Amino acid sequence: MSLLFAGRKTAVTEHKVGIVQRFVMTVLNHFRQLLASLGELWRQPLASLMTIGVLGLSITLPSTLYLLVKNTEQVTAGWEQAGEISLYLKPNTSVAQAQQLRLAVSLFSEVEAAELVTADNALIEFEQASGLTNSLAYLDKNPLPHVILITPKASYVQPNAARTLVKKLERQTHVDFGKLDIEWLERLYATVSVARDVVWIVAILLCVSVVLIIGNTIRLNILSQREEIIIMKLVGATDNFIRFPFLYTGMWYGLLGGVLAWILIAFLLWWLQSGIANLANLYQTQFTLTGLDTTALGVILLLSIILGLLGSIISVQKHIKEIEPK
Amino acid sequence: MIKFDDVSKTYPGGQLALQKVNFHVAKGEMAFLTGHSGAGKSTILKLISLMERPSVGRVLINGHDLGQLSHKDIPYIRRDIGMIFQSHQLLMDRTVFDNVALPLVIEGYSRKQITKRVHAALDLVGLLSRAQNAPMALSGGQQQRVGIARAIVNRPPLLLADEPTGNLDPKLSMEIMRLFEALNQSGMSVFIATHDLGLIARMKYRNLTIKNGRLIEDGLQEDVLLNETNTKLPSDVHVDNDTPRYR
Repeated sequence: MSLLFAGRKTAVTEHKVGIVQRFVMTVLNHFRQLLASLGELWRQPLASLMTIGVLGLSITLPSTLYLLVKNTEQVTAGWEQAGEISLYLKPNTSVAQAQQLRLAVSLFSEVEAAELVTADNALIEFEQASGLTNSLAYLDKNPLPHVILITPKASYVQPNAARTLVKKLERQTHVDFGKLDIEWLERLYATVSVARDVVWIVAILLCVSVVLIIGNTIRLNILSQREEIIIMKLVGATDNFIRFPFLYTGMWYGLLGGVLAWILIAFLLWWLQSGIANLANLYQTQFTLTGLDTTALGVILLLSIILGLLGSIISVQKHIKEIEPK
Repeated sequence: MIKFDDVSKTYPGGQLALQKVNFHVAKGEMAFLTGHSGAGKSTILKLISLMERPSVGRVLINGHDLGQLSHKDIPYIRRDIGMIFQSHQLLMDRTVFDNVALPLVIEGYSRKQITKRVHAALDLVGLLSRAQNAPMALSGGQQQRVGIARAIVNRPPLLLADEPTGNLDPKLSMEIMRLFEALNQSGMSVFIATHDLGLIARMKYRNLTIKNGRLIEDGLQEDVLLNETNTKLPSDVHVDNDTPRYR
């Protein structure tokens, strides 16, 4: 387009380029700039690698924390069910009354099974487990109450349903109180929830730092190419034409940082896997660390690219305009 | 082609660079702009190439008031003006070919067209065989010719040159001037700012003389030189090879 000379031929008018061909040429130009900006990184390998390294580590940290939380949630998902309700009976309850109550309770629609542990059996178990036989001999009477161990049906194992069942059971005669064995789990969930929040905070802070790092790197790139930018402006380059290679550079930094983070995470998981397996064996369970699935990997790479672009956009918007031929 | 209409320019800080300058360079004309260092030559070229805007008055190119154009239009206007600089302004980490191709790449020419045009421009300035060399490997005169090739490669209607022979020896300077002459004869308007009066004395073209921001002479080179040497020869002008030269 010539603004001053109406009849002057330009690249578009001279060759009668159609809209489709112009679109194809634009795409090709961008593709060329994309590759050229990768070439720019290649020309300064040490500086590029250092920047990519910092970005990779910055992305690795929140990603690893995310995996940690995800694995913890996966482990505890199986424990979410209230496996057992302990129903403690009042001290003066007889064994016959306890047997009767066990029978009554076992007929509840919410109950899968009910087992009575009498006070005597409980004491024997305690003696065996604690080794305090001699000390227990000094007791005048057995201080332990009868306990009915109740296994709820599958539809009543969720914490809220189980809590309702406990309240119902506590209303029965001879029942002192009921205890649901999920309080520790609730504490664990609360801890995991805090950990999840911490992951988010760390992730946000590190994302901001990634944007700042890329923004600063692009700023330095722009300043080091100041003369080139001036020359390009002198021969008619638009701000957009000058801007795009820097945006692509930021995008490459983000993408390569994301790929590095992925490699580091895979390495960390490989490293931790044997240790975790050993730990699981000690608890007589089997556990395999869950890595990044395709979606998570895609999200990390996409986020890295977006952060790279964002950092470079902020820097480019500010600095390209400031550089003018004088 | 170029019209200055009562143009004054004051730089930030109050430095008055131009005062009510009026002139017109016609389409297809070749003209020189001479004067001491700091007289205002570069300011005039900067106003034409939109590196600066006038404080007062209008600068028109082909009838278009540059003051009416927006910032976004500047790159497109610069594509219509070939610019040559004393310092060459080349990209030293690129080849001669890449430097000359730059305006065409920016305009979006196809690779085939770029190759064809760059080769033609380099052939015109006698540097086709050096296309793949780095500018650093060339002499000052050759670098200037690369700058000229880049300025003309997209066939602009107007060519501006700011001290194009400033660092060159007389023989090379004359070669460059002959090149400008040839370009002018092909229909390009050429406007050259220089203080090398000795060189342009040998060429019968219009000369605009500027002093302290005012246009003081406008006429054929030989008339201007006559006035300069016979009537008011400045103290900082010396005669070298029978031709005056500003320092």
